[in-house]
Amino acid sequence: MSAPLIGAALQAVIDAGSGAYLADDARTEIRICAGTACHASGRVALKKAVDAALRERGLAGQVAVIETGCHGFCEQGPIMVLRPRGIFYPRVKPKDVPEIIDTSVVGDGIVERLLYKHPETGESLALERDIPFYALQTRVVLGLNGKVDPFSLDDYLAHGGYTALAKVLSDGDPVAVIDEIEGSGLRGRGGAGFPTGKKWRASRRNPGDVHYVICNADEGDPGAFMDRSVLEGNPHSVIEGMIIAAYAIGASNGPVAGYVYVRHEYPFAVDRLRFALEQARERGLLGKDILGSGFDFDIRINQGAGAFVCGESTALTASIEGLRGMPRGKHIRTAAHGLWGQPTNLNNVESYANVPWIINNGADTFAATGTETSKGTKIFSLTGKVVNGGLIEVPMGTTLRQVIFDIGGGMLPGRHFKAVQLGGPSGGCLPAPLLDEPIDFESLLAAGSMMGSGGMVVVDDTTCMVDFAKFFLKFTAEESCGKCVPCRVGATRMLEILERICAGQATAGNIGLLEALAEDVGEGSLCALGGSAPNPVLSTLRYFRDEVMAHVEEHRCPAGVCRALIRYRIDEEACTGCRACISACPSSAVAGERKQVHVIDQKLCIKCDACRQACRFDAVRVDTGVLTPAGRRRR
Amino acid sequence: MANNNGHANGKRPQGAEPKGSSLYEVLKGIDFERRQLVGKPKGTGLLGLVEKPEGGYRCYSCTLCERICPVDAIELEYCPEFPEELFDIEAARAAALTTLPGESCGAASACVMGEQPAAFQAPIDMKLLDPAIAGIRSGSGLVEAMHAAQEAYGYLPRLALEAIAEEMHLAFSRVYGVASFYSQFRLKPVGKYVIDVCMGTACHVAGAPLVLEAFSQELEVPVGDTTPDGLFTLQTVNCVGACALAPVVRLGDDETFGRMGPNEARRLVRRLRKQEAAV
Repeated sequence: MSAPLIGAALQAVIDAGSGAYLADDARTEIRICAGTACHASGRVALKKAVDAALRERGLAGQVAVIETGCHGFCEQGPIMVLRPRGIFYPRVKPKDVPEIIDTSVVGDGIVERLLYKHPETGESLALERDIPFYALQTRVVLGLNGKVDPFSLDDYLAHGGYTALAKVLSDGDPVAVIDEIEGSGLRGRGGAGFPTGKKWRASRRNPGDVHYVICNADEGDPGAFMDRSVLEGNPHSVIEGMIIAAYAIGASNGPVAGYVYVRHEYPFAVDRLRFALEQARERGLLGKDILGSGFDFDIRINQGAGAFVCGESTALTASIEGLRGMPRGKHIRTAAHGLWGQPTNLNNVESYANVPWIINNGADTFAATGTETSKGTKIFSLTGKVVNGGLIEVPMGTTLRQVIFDIGGGMLPGRHFKAVQLGGPSGGCLPAPLLDEPIDFESLLAAGSMMGSGGMVVVDDTTCMVDFAKFFLKFTAEESCGKCVPCRVGATRMLEILERICAGQATAGNIGLLEALAEDVGEGSLCALGGSAPNPVLSTLRYFRDEVMAHVEEHRCPAGVCRALIRYRIDEEACTGCRACISACPSSAVAGERKQVHVIDQKLCIKCDACRQACRFDAVRVDTGVLTPAGRRRR
Repeated sequence: MANNNGHANGKRPQGAEPKGSSLYEVLKGIDFERRQLVGKPKGTGLLGLVEKPEGGYRCYSCTLCERICPVDAIELEYCPEFPEELFDIEAARAAALTTLPGESCGAASACVMGEQPAAFQAPIDMKLLDPAIAGIRSGSGLVEAMHAAQEAYGYLPRLALEAIAEEMHLAFSRVYGVASFYSQFRLKPVGKYVIDVCMGTACHVAGAPLVLEAFSQELEVPVGDTTPDGLFTLQTVNCVGACALAPVVRLGDDETFGRMGPNEARRLVRRLRKQEAAV
């Protein structure tokens, strides 16, 4: 079918909509973030309050209230943005809603006291684009997140959605699409960074009865939620990317079928994606004869069930086939032998979401950002002990310092930066001297970490690096599928050594054993889960050896975390005798009269930290190292 | 099973008496000639070996001797006073399945009176499984069917898994293997309140292990278990993706609590307990 007809078909799809959605800045809108974090911070009550306030003022129906996907600034939830002016209200409480409506919706003022305050200057910032958190980002994939209604195909179309698909179908040249993607230098955003165009070309070349296109939304890395936010905020961009991929791989090459493998832990993402798929199907953007081009493609949702290893491509296809999610050796790639033995293209959510942008803006525009080998932007979920946690999209090559300190606002007051962990259980911890390292696939790998799916966890001096490494290893040991011995047994043995270190029972020889074991596990494991399982341990030994040796040689946990090596004590001068710790203690280990200094009975203390958190005067201290009976440190 | 109390003829063998403990000693003392001379029927000769020196039999009726004898010298006869009963496995299983806790199924099984038989399955409402079965018929995969079943029952009862296996023409062992592989599938019923403590990285750094421990102590159950009153189930989840609010606790499917600490955890349990007591 010729190009003008496809354009006309897309226009017909747009015209068939309700017309209720318009592009930005065309009318007054209240956009409330409905991401998981804002949901937990009370966006349901906020929405009710907004609806009620509008009804009271007779504005219901005139002012649109739209629940959008994640705005990314999760620390400040629930978030409300008033358009077209773009006024940003963080941490909105239902009781403040009437005032906001009166001032900023009915009138054209701003409620000064509710605005976001600049963390350093204390100045109130009214506009979303002025806030440093947003101002320093380059939002390509997240561009429409927080702008479009995830439940509305019309809204996506009003913002230029599905034009990339129409363009691809009009041109009618699938190989040209692959050339374009390859030319853009897009690399897989799931962690390994395999060139996307190359993968598509291999899938297209391999013969099969059916070609499968799978979207990997099994975001198992603890501490990473960018895929979830994209699916929750803008599901159609992923669907559009998948249709383009299917067209590139399958058109004039036999039938293609699509799957999205999404975590069951993300109920909002599953609901929104399911809804989006139905809408796309109803309006002729999925299914038979897409936009009258003669190309057929449909997508099914497959939910995971809580197995981290299913993020691995061969384990993922096994899971879709209804087997235990165990990977196989990848001497033959999924591009040749994937789902049900057919050629299968598997990309991450973020990779697909980049595709429409590349088609619309051209490969050269995309390749203009980033470094020599890593092009475009990358989304990170910045979490941990940092002021502005949330979703951050920056060009590749941005330094860690810019992300953590400029956008993330740095450390919490009174705390010092210790390390940043990238790449989840497969990555590693980088210390302060490496903060000026640019973020791209190669530099991170050279530093002993990896890009991973983009989890970025910042830790401060209250985190014990041995305990942190133990956490990741425990995770991999539990999530090991058990198929190959190096991973199943090796990870467990490594975990046991780390547990001994944390308990102060390790000898110096254990460290050498740990290193040797780490090498064997890394080399001998079947899939990337085992292959990268030793990374957190190796990077900890590389950059934080002093802290490890403090555990081994001095039986001391410098961060005061490892339970066997610490002791709680009440500071006599700081204690006011308020009894808060006494009522909080679950094991009745704290004793003392009102207005007198309290004492912790070390025999009863279970080191649960309840007293320290209950104390408002910072009087509960944590001691570590070999202790004399008086509770003083010997060294 | 009283079928093979198999000493030949059911009588005390009249063979040679063992002279010593070692096999050599024993064999030396056997009068092989005598068997032929006396013309005893097949099977009486060497069986004297099974006699213990102090009397009584060593034989456990394993019938191995009959099977491996190179000259077919041993032939078992069954004692007439113990009539042969074939073990009807189907009947025994049916009896075990219909037995309620505290009853005896009547079979001579290893179950101790008063205990729940190992194969006991609480009856479930099979109608609830219809959406899962319908899903399978419309082409959904095994994992999807299990999600549907878990949604219906709150866990995966064995009977439901058996029904799914039958519908999909799979061996039960394969279905069970898949169910036990994925951590989201539960094979035991859950309590009214399911508490999921997030153990993601951000939550770990913010102190999730302490929160989990506080829940475990306050509820007096280990992680993964349900309280005896059936109210609370304590679980962990790898990451719910609300890292900015770490540590995060999810209650059921709808409620999420952020910035939890051990004290908040205990308070939450006490509040829910009070709420339940008031109802």
